[in-house]
Amino acid sequence: MGAPLKNPTQAEQDFLREFALLLDKAPGDAAERQAAFDRFARAGLPSRRVESWHYSDLRVKLRQASPLAEPPDHVSLDYARAELEKVAAPGALKLVSIDGFFAPDLSDDFSRVAGVEIRPLAALSNDRATLALQADDPLLDLNGAFSPGGLTIEIAAGISLEKPIEIVALCGANGGRSRFSRVHVVLGEGARASLIETRAEGFGGFGDSALLLSLGKAAELDYACRSRDSATVDVQTCVVSLEAGARLCATALVAGAAFLRRQLFVTCAGEKAELHLSAASMLTGQEHADITLVVTHQAPACLSRETFKFVLAEQAEGVFQGKIVVPPQAQKTDGKMVCRGLLLSDDASLQAKPELEIFADDVACGHGAACGKLDANQLFYMESRGIPRPEAQAILIQAFAAEAFDILRDESLRDLLNADLAALLQTGAFA
Amino acid sequence: MLEIENLHVSVAGKKILDGLSLSVPAGQVAAIMGPNGSGKSTLSYVIAGRADYDVTEGSIRLGGVDLLDKTAAERAALGLFLVFQYPLEIPGVATMTFLKAALNAQRKMRDEAEMAIPDFMKRVREAAARLNIPQDMLKRPVNLGFSGGEKKRMEILQMALLEPRFAILDELDSGLDIDALRICADGVNALRSKERSLLVITHYQRLLDYIVPDVVHVMSEGKIVRSGGPELALELEKSGYADYASEAA
Repeated sequence: MGAPLKNPTQAEQDFLREFALLLDKAPGDAAERQAAFDRFARAGLPSRRVESWHYSDLRVKLRQASPLAEPPDHVSLDYARAELEKVAAPGALKLVSIDGFFAPDLSDDFSRVAGVEIRPLAALSNDRATLALQADDPLLDLNGAFSPGGLTIEIAAGISLEKPIEIVALCGANGGRSRFSRVHVVLGEGARASLIETRAEGFGGFGDSALLLSLGKAAELDYACRSRDSATVDVQTCVVSLEAGARLCATALVAGAAFLRRQLFVTCAGEKAELHLSAASMLTGQEHADITLVVTHQAPACLSRETFKFVLAEQAEGVFQGKIVVPPQAQKTDGKMVCRGLLLSDDASLQAKPELEIFADDVACGHGAACGKLDANQLFYMESRGIPRPEAQAILIQAFAAEAFDILRDESLRDLLNADLAALLQTGAFA
Repeated sequence: MLEIENLHVSVAGKKILDGLSLSVPAGQVAAIMGPNGSGKSTLSYVIAGRADYDVTEGSIRLGGVDLLDKTAAERAALGLFLVFQYPLEIPGVATMTFLKAALNAQRKMRDEAEMAIPDFMKRVREAAARLNIPQDMLKRPVNLGFSGGEKKRMEILQMALLEPRFAILDELDSGLDIDALRICADGVNALRSKERSLLVITHYQRLLDYIVPDVVHVMSEGKIVRSGGPELALELEKSGYADYASEAA
């Protein structure tokens, strides 16, 4: 056993114990897993003393670790199949996981999809290591230590996919487990694709998922995450690397987040890469969502646009931490980051912390953050036209949040998220 | 059609309407003129059902129905319409979406079926053409970046589409040049009928050259102080409001 845990919490001791049991039977490179766990152990669960985790104190929040999820049995499979019917996007090619385990029975057959290859992630462990190294984060390390295999989706150079690929992450019939999952999507040079990630894992427990996106030269990806429902404590990490001229348009609709940390680490590695990032977080009750992103412009002349929206009702807490890093060589960087909060109650709160770290002198970077309420004059105007107040509110909230989805170029993804958002508002949770 | 009796209204403790009574029968076009601060806009907001006004006394009835315990949306469904002096911009909401939501919300409250989309589109297009509103304006967010004239034309378009039986025009002429005023007035005049009443609120006689009223009421310090025919507007244009201010005081 490697690194020491200092004053370990119950949860950290649980992870240590579970890891010892797992190591012999887990697939892939045991040394790599051990190294990942050691890195996690050195850092420990991040507390509010760690600057980047200040607003989401995982050390306090995660008192103990739930038992590790087991591969799904037929009861879990049936349960997940019913869930899949409810949440899957129509017309997409599905890759389904249950409690982090790939479920081929529920997934589409990719063998006939030209230019797409699905493989176990272990076969690409070197790539995984390279990409993950760009993001130094204890929860990504914990994911590396525990994730059961994982998948690589490789889209060959020059291929343009007609249908979107949808990664669907579901729970098994046994709630309250610790779930780890890892997917690596690789786009070859000039490849074009649309990716949907649908997460419906609100069955207690702890979640720690990782999505790695590698875009080759001039590759283009539209990516829409639908975080419908997450574990009691959930961490979603997205690590992105963009080669020269690649373009990523990535957005998310976050809802049902009991305590969610969604973190994105993006590296613009090649010249003139283009990044459009956004999310709409819809939070109510005691929900907490922390969106943290670090965008590093390694190469010159890259463009990044970040637009993050929060709609906060009741006692919900939103956190936005966005950092754009521009090292000396990244001249002609063009970066703009905006965070906007709509507070529907006096008890809701949004912590917004945009940061720029600029070491190059010929760049155009800016950021802004603002919070407000629904406009009473707009509401009255709509009511005076016969639109009842709850409906008028829903229309204004939809307009506010849906702006995040405008960055998508694939209209079918935009429509999907808009429909999700409309359905969410229809429940009256934000009336 | 509209009966207001002894209406007293305060805003943040300050009395704005002080025992106002007004009757507008079906088919009548009534003008209300008065100086700044006489309470004209407050009157239009209170009739339309804006929340931040405190009605301490009196009643407002439309077609015999008490409006004061109805929400603004319910009043709209009963056939009330307010042309705003300053129409609101609503970013992110396409004009067509907004119009459809308004029309269908009203129909729903009246237990009528939703209008079929082709019928709806046809009606909007025809109304837009009459008001010189280009089709691409209907795809833009509500009033966003529209000129003053475009916003007012959009108000009249909404009025034509929603077919209210009682419409209040709050300073329709503000922000309009002569050509835009003529287009809006023509749009309003096309909607005049025996079943529909209009309450035209204005400072200036000019608007009443285009929308000729049946009666003119003068408002000062929160009540109607004089009523007469269209000639009263011409008289006010010459003499101003000074007489009424002192009379009320």
